Amino acid sequence: MEAPPVTSMPVTGGAVNMMEYLLQGSVLDQALESLLHRLRGLSDNMDPETFTDHELVYLLKGQQGNPFILRARRSLSHPTSPWHLRYLGQPEVGDKSRHALVRNCVDVAASHSLPEFLNEMGFRMDHEFTANGHIFRKGVMKIVVSKLSRILVPGNTENTERLSLSYLVELSVLAPAGQDTVSEDMRSFAEQLKPLVHLEKIDPSKQRH
Amino acid sequence: FVSFRPSVLDNFALLSGQLNTINKLLKNEKTPSFRNQVIIPLLLSPDRDEDLAKLTEQRVPVFSHEIVPDYLRTKPDPEVEEQEKQLSVEAARIGPEVAQKQIQTLNKLCSNLLEKLNNPRDDRDSESAAIRQSKPSFNPADTNALVGAVAFGKGLSKCRPPGPVAPGHPGQGPMMSGGPTLQQVTIGGGSGQQAGMGGPVGPQQQGQPGKIPSSIKTNIKSASGSMHPYNR
Repeated sequence: MEAPPVTSMPVTGGAVNMMEYLLQGSVLDQALESLLHRLRGLSDNMDPETFTDHELVYLLKGQQGNPFILRARRSLSHPTSPWHLRYLGQPEVGDKSRHALVRNCVDVAASHSLPEFLNEMGFRMDHEFTANGHIFRKGVMKIVVSKLSRILVPGNTENTERLSLSYLVELSVLAPAGQDTVSEDMRSFAEQLKPLVHLEKIDPSKQRH
Repeated sequence: FVSFRPSVLDNFALLSGQLNTINKLLKNEKTPSFRNQVIIPLLLSPDRDEDLAKLTEQRVPVFSHEIVPDYLRTKPDPEVEEQEKQLSVEAARIGPEVAQKQIQTLNKLCSNLLEKLNNPRDDRDSESAAIRQSKPSFNPADTNALVGAVAFGKGLSKCRPPGPVAPGHPGQGPMMSGGPTLQQVTIGGGSGQQAGMGGPVGPQQQGQPGKIPSSIKTNIKSASGSMHPYNR
């Protein structure tokens, strides 16, 4: 299960504002082995870690404006682990020279009653998918190579269908707001994965069309 | 023209990556100057040291007198040191102008080589050019499709709100007054991404742009009265 560091302070006033720095790319199935080989060499020495997760995206519609989005994730390979709930803010605009996508990020762990709880609060599930693949770490950087599949029958995670013939590759760092060296380090790591994968800052709102 | 197997290139890339990391660590201002540090072995033993083996990823299982000359070395071999001294003498002998000219020649050679590597000429062996182009390792359209899926569910089935669900026909249920949805089901526009999927797409909905029945179009129309910031 993805386990980014949860802030040790309670999420009430005064908590550290964590930002997620993100670079994304993809790799075709046939090049996956080369990429994993390269990542194993570049990352910190750890046993290769695989994961299978199920993510559900919930929306809460307000009176007006954009709906509030929460992402709930659970591990299918470790079913007893807690659920993981994440809020991601809008990408920070402004500094075009910054190399990574930066957005506010709040992570909490939750019990297995999370879906019912969200429903009771008025959230509705918009879509869900399963992700399985590999995780690597280098220092604070996390690299996730995942195969995404759509769930054909809601709630049935056995019956899935791949979304694409490529794996999604994401390089991310969770850091307190204001640390600008992070994106430099990410960029130099991304350089080392070329030309296998081009990791770049992709603005999600541009992908709507 | 030598063709390199991908694994060889990979290993080169790994080497380059690790050298980068080492360089960065050495340049870090918090790194003490190694010239001022002295390392003295306190204990040599022919026995295997498990902690050390684990720390060095099995590269140094035993800290014995055999490994000391290599791992704790501070100077090159005498022959190498001699060669280096000769080179320094030679360099001092030739004088600054000659040296400068040699530097310029070297720089020119390097930039010529770089240019040749970066811009393959057409009269080069067409086969090697074809090999280079026919093995892309990623597809930008796939990247966009995957990012869209993760960011707002593009290409993923919209979910109906909880209620009477007919199992096996998730595409046909009526869209009740439940929440807003993030995506528009674009019949024509979606086919661009989904053409990339070669996998076995069963006779089920949501994966087949052409098969989505018009009921979904109708459903979206009925919901469009409410606030849909993500609509186009």
